[in-house]
Amino acid sequence: MTGNGLPGVRPNARETPVIRVDGVSRWFGSVVAVSDVTFDVMPGITGLLGPNGAGKTTLLRMMTGLAKTSRGTVTVFGEAVRDNPPLYRRIGVMSEHETVYGFMKGREFVTMMGRLRGVRDIETAVDRAIEIVDLADAQHRQMSTYSRGMRQRMRLAGTLVHDPELLILDEPLNGADPRQRVHFKHLLETLAAEGRTIVLSSHILEEVEQLADTVLLVVNGKLAASGGFRAIRAALNQRPYHVRVLCDSPRKLAAGVVKLDSVDAVHIDPDGAMVVLSRNVLDLQIELPRLAKAENVSLRRMEPLDDSLESVFGYLVET
Amino acid sequence: MLSIYRLTLRQLSSPGRVGIMFVLAIMPVVIAAMVLADNDTMSLTEFEQFVLSTMLAGSIVPLVVLAIATSAFGNEIEDRTLANLTLAPIPRWRIAAAKLLASITIAGPLVVLSAVATAHVAFLGEWNATIAVAAGAAAAVVMYASLFVWLGLASAQAVGVGLLYIVLWEGFFAQFVAGVRLLSIRYYAVALMHGLDERRFEVYDHASLAAAIVMTSLVTGGFLLLAIRRLRRMDVP
Repeated sequence: MTGNGLPGVRPNARETPVIRVDGVSRWFGSVVAVSDVTFDVMPGITGLLGPNGAGKTTLLRMMTGLAKTSRGTVTVFGEAVRDNPPLYRRIGVMSEHETVYGFMKGREFVTMMGRLRGVRDIETAVDRAIEIVDLADAQHRQMSTYSRGMRQRMRLAGTLVHDPELLILDEPLNGADPRQRVHFKHLLETLAAEGRTIVLSSHILEEVEQLADTVLLVVNGKLAASGGFRAIRAALNQRPYHVRVLCDSPRKLAAGVVKLDSVDAVHIDPDGAMVVLSRNVLDLQIELPRLAKAENVSLRRMEPLDDSLESVFGYLVET
Repeated sequence: MLSIYRLTLRQLSSPGRVGIMFVLAIMPVVIAAMVLADNDTMSLTEFEQFVLSTMLAGSIVPLVVLAIATSAFGNEIEDRTLANLTLAPIPRWRIAAAKLLASITIAGPLVVLSAVATAHVAFLGEWNATIAVAAGAAAAVVMYASLFVWLGLASAQAVGVGLLYIVLWEGFFAQFVAGVRLLSIRYYAVALMHGLDERRFEVYDHASLAAAIVMTSLVTGGFLLLAIRRLRRMDVP
């Protein structure tokens, strides 16, 4: 995968991208949802990461052909994806919307999805898809009786029933419990190991970190960073953090803290809390309690002030 | 195409919806029976004009079809399940055609049975007249269904827009503004009734049977093409 952000990892030039997004923008009236985004997606698992409202879904919708681009082109397997129904034999898409046909039984839904996608041996394909998502026991129940997680899994079965080469999944782990997340992770790894290309979106950093080989970071409709997760993690580690420290003698502790190598600056808030600016929070976490003990200061609490995903993305955009 | 047709039939045939349609469809039959019971209520010409043309072709048929056909795509757009269909390797015309056929399948029998019962009661079992009225109602169902299936795709307020169309265009302008009726579905449905039984609806200035058949095909095909075009160009939610 390549991108126009940072830090980038260029793929082998000989490899043909499965998805090519080239200079794509999309605006709704005066609102720009996606702005001049360019990247390629190669086989394996690619995570599309960004805070809510960043433009991930709009981007995914353009990648699936559900939405048109205002500018730029999207090709999948070398063909324009928009208004190209035959291409959907090779693509499986699960949208973020969790609505299902409540009057249908789970198996009926997967069978219908298979028929719509031209699956020949429909019964075998449906059995396999339902087995993959581990819902064989519930397949004859109406989908209106399913839990949120079960609905998601049955929708995934419907997405997998025609054995697509490319899977595009928008927030697929919404509603999944921890056991289902582990199952889903193994499933995606298996599908990717079989040579499939998988693109999944999430607004949860850890979720994508666990699943994706490569990451596309989207912020404010722009590609903020792309590449391997380690490279992005390295960029994140260079980011300065504000840490709020509560103790019984902040001024006394601040005099010692400012001398630590891991600390860039210290100030005391009007409410008496000490705020430390650090580029090495891991070292700070070790050194600060030691220092407090040595100074005989009682340390009550340490908390990062700007650890939200938005601030992480904001940092990457500024870099 | 069969899968989409079956799916749409199930979506459109909820008991509540069918119940409302049944109540609407039975109204002309009741009125016909009341007219028959009281000979002084209205003349046969007035009956043809009021019950068959204005009420059946101009109100009941479009209202029943509106309730069904706008939901064919409208429900899927609202539920955001339309992507299940558009992300399948199926030509768009098949999706639109299946939705139209399903809408006609649900609305058609009720409306045609209502027309048959109304005409049979009013014309005292005269089968020529009954068949003519049934054919005209069936043609109206097909034309309105095509219009409202497209409307369900084109507008988020399809029912409201459809009601305005039925009341203002079909009900008012087509009746009182010269020339407008040439662009109304009711005009061609009534022309078809008249063409199949020329004694009926003599009070109207009719198009010929051939013109009615051609216009039925053009209106149906035209709105179906618009629906296919819309399906190809729209952003699917």
